[in-house]
Amino acid sequence: MKKIIPLLILISLVGCATGPKTNVVMTFPTAPQDLTTTCPDLATVDPNTEKLSDVLNVVTANYSQYYECKVKVDAWIEWYNTQKSINDTVTK
Amino acid sequence: MFSWIIQNALGTIPTWTWPALAGASFVINLLSGILSHLPQFKPWHYFIKPLSWVGILVGVFMYGGAGVTVIYQEALKEQQAKIAVAEQASTDANTAIKTKVVTRVQVIHDKQVIYKDRIKEVTKEIDKDCKFDKDASKILNDAAKNPIKDTK
Repeated sequence: MKKIIPLLILISLVGCATGPKTNVVMTFPTAPQDLTTTCPDLATVDPNTEKLSDVLNVVTANYSQYYECKVKVDAWIEWYNTQKSINDTVTK
Repeated sequence: MFSWIIQNALGTIPTWTWPALAGASFVINLLSGILSHLPQFKPWHYFIKPLSWVGILVGVFMYGGAGVTVIYQEALKEQQAKIAVAEQASTDANTAIKTKVVTRVQVIHDKQVIYKDRIKEVTKEIDKDCKFDKDASKILNDAAKNPIKDTK
């Protein structure tokens, strides 16, 4: 009995964890508002127009539209890569 | 229920309680040894001795537990600090991206205004010499339509 008790004390040193079992949660980042709107459809030419200037206006507006959407897509790629690398610093 | 008692009731007891309990139990254990030599207190000895052993065991066990808890809480704090830094970095990155998008879109809009002005300048000349065929405008409009929408 006298040999067992010190052994029991030794074993009991491992203890029982009474701390709160709190999960540390990182909130999912919210993307910038500008990126969450969809790209509009391309503008179309008035079907009855014969003026080349009208066509030019529509075509240049559509080019601008494309570049605006490109900016958004590029920003999404950058956003994802940045947020992923930030997330990796916490999870790895 | 048991885990609730462990987490909420035992977790609130200060750490020093456990070595104090173990120490006190040890002293009682020694005293009970003395009591065993006194005939009038000998019956008490049989009761106090095992109780003191239980006190020592519980005290040491819970003190060990408190040590583990401290380690857990340190790890928790470390992780929380990491997350706070990451969340700040995430917010900063969002702000930087948002600023970049706004700036670039503004550049595109400014360019668009320039192109509109340039078209205005030459409208008379190009409309005088060129006529745009309606079939051409139909092809252009058809091409401008989103082909994915048709497949929905």
